Amino acid sequence: MYKSIDDINERIRDGSVRVVTAEEMPDIVDELGVSGALREVDVVTTGTFGAMCSSGAFLNFGHSEIPIRMEKMWLNGVEAYGGIASVDCYIGATQESTTKGIEYGGAHVIEDLIAGKAVELQARGKGTDCYPRQSITNEFTLADLNQAVMLNPRNSYQCYNAATNMGGRPIKTYMGYLLPGHRNITYSGAGALSPLPNDPTFSVIGSGTPIFLGGANGTVVGEGTQHSPGAGFGTLMTTGDMKEMSPEYIRAASMTGYGVTMYVGVGIPIPLLNEEIVKHTAVRDEDIVTSIVDYGTPMRDRPVVRKVTYKELKSGSVEIDGEEIKTSPLSSYKKAREVANELKARVENGSFLMACATREINAVKKNRPMSEHGVVRRVSEMMTSTFVTITGEKNVKEAATLLLKGNTNHLPVIAAENRLIGIVTTYDISKAFARDEEDKCVSDIMTRNVITALPDEPVDLAARRLQQHNIGALVVVDPAKKVLGMLNSYALGDLVGERWHQ
Amino acid sequence: MKLMVTFDREGVLEANIANAILKSGVPVNVERAQIDGDDGWTLLDVADDKAEKFIAALRHPGVTVRIQKDAVSHNITECVDCGLCISICQKQVFSFNDSWQLQVNSERCVLCGRCVMYCPQRALTLQQ
Ligand code: SF4
Ligand code: SF4
Repeated sequence: MYKSIDDINERIRDGSVRVVTAEEMPDIVDELGVSGALREVDVVTTGTFGAMCSSGAFLNFGHSEIPIRMEKMWLNGVEAYGGIASVDCYIGATQESTTKGIEYGGAHVIEDLIAGKAVELQARGKGTDCYPRQSITNEFTLADLNQAVMLNPRNSYQCYNAATNMGGRPIKTYMGYLLPGHRNITYSGAGALSPLPNDPTFSVIGSGTPIFLGGANGTVVGEGTQHSPGAGFGTLMTTGDMKEMSPEYIRAASMTGYGVTMYVGVGIPIPLLNEEIVKHTAVRDEDIVTSIVDYGTPMRDRPVVRKVTYKELKSGSVEIDGEEIKTSPLSSYKKAREVANELKARVENGSFLMACATREINAVKKNRPMSEHGVVRRVSEMMTSTFVTITGEKNVKEAATLLLKGNTNHLPVIAAENRLIGIVTTYDISKAFARDEEDKCVSDIMTRNVITALPDEPVDLAARRLQQHNIGALVVVDPAKKVLGMLNSYALGDLVGERWHQ
Repeated sequence: MKLMVTFDREGVLEANIANAILKSGVPVNVERAQIDGDDGWTLLDVADDKAEKFIAALRHPGVTVRIQKDAVSHNITECVDCGLCISICQKQVFSFNDSWQLQVNSERCVLCGRCVMYCPQRALTLQQ
């Protein structure tokens, strides 16, 4: 048996359509079998409500008396992109306010507009014969705009990595606050209720597919940026009329230490046309596997700690190395359900019809990393291998002499086999002299927790560490802690200068 | 239960907590403390049935004791029930109920402030 989109729309119109949410579908398939479920159910609704950084809106203001070509513009102090035409802009959700930082950004402007609040526009143009005006300040609301079109270049991930932090210090990421030593795990997505896991082969979802977006009836534009279904990470580009949206389903958010993002409610109806589609919609949380990755490694290919299913993630804890680690989502499952149920109600009451996709989305494509032509500079290329060290039993005076002779501010302290055990700096030495402690042992005044770098690490990572700890040099060591060299901030300063002048 | 004990200039001069523990024989857990020469505060955890006895022993000029109940307040209009706070808080203050709605059991809070800082909706505040 198979059904056509027209058959289903016919039933939507006459009120006999049978709609269930993706959460209810697996049990129905278990009970009635695939063909029974196809006979019984016409549409499965999905939903998700999570942080979708890649979101924004095109706004059109209309022309002012004495027209202006708005080249640079700010909405409530948040810069919007004006390089479109004279009176349009794109406001990106993640753009931060010039005065309030991450507490107010593009997502907040969008949320305020949807909530009906007034927003201040400031714009500048150079002034031309046809657009003589050079600046404008004006207040507007969503109702004043000709068009306010949300466009989300990359939304509704098929699946997303779960995050933990194997490192030694807490980190602030777009996946939330991650405690050191993998003490928590965060994940995103509604699992089996999310849209794309219910149609992983893109058999019904394509360009033109009607969707629920932020409360409005929106549309899939096509494949999203970074679309990588071949790796399980398909994405969609979506659009909808902001004027029909509701602050219930679009919420601005600030991830401390990371930036602004926007929570977006997306729901996609899956018309059940054949048995193949029914099978896909029977997916359960235990069938969806993702990786817990270590965000403590700030590189593109982060190490996978282990594989995990959404069922485990949603259970509240996951085992790593024999330890139960607490998990928490950063997308809202409660709101995802609301989206799926609201979409179900719209299909049932006839205000939402199904449509064939006008263009298919590639279901096997794989995302490529950036093709970088520059070479990644390693620590070993930038470090100095001429350095002086000292042993712990030497006294402060001897250390001072060595620092002067070596013309350096940093003296790594070593034990047998050149193994690093501490560091003393000119500051430590001056402090000791000021306190009349020049006869003390170096090991009594040294800092034991030395910030180090590995020789094959990219220089940029080491530079960030220097900055974070506000120090002048890193000791370069091998994995056995043997001192190999020093990387100091002057060397890195030259590197940065070189890049800017290229 | 949690007790918020504040000390003024006079209160910081003596070993008030140690004395109260010795006098009452009630063990307490110091969860957080910030005390310097002029004043300070500490958050103590004490068994519910022994709290009264301990508070009586702690009465001293310069020492104020308050039972700490609603340490974190939760703005349900701002909250989207994402649940990010659940794993950030290591004191099990937050959890989901069966409908994936956030539940706050603020009696366990030790006022570290982490959840307040990292809630993406700024829906949590500490009461002090
Ligand atoms: S992190 Fe904030 S928004 Fe998310 S559930 Fe907790 S209180 Fe609510
Ligand atoms: S302040 Fe700290 S202990 Fe209290 S609820 Fe927040 S994270 Fe938990």
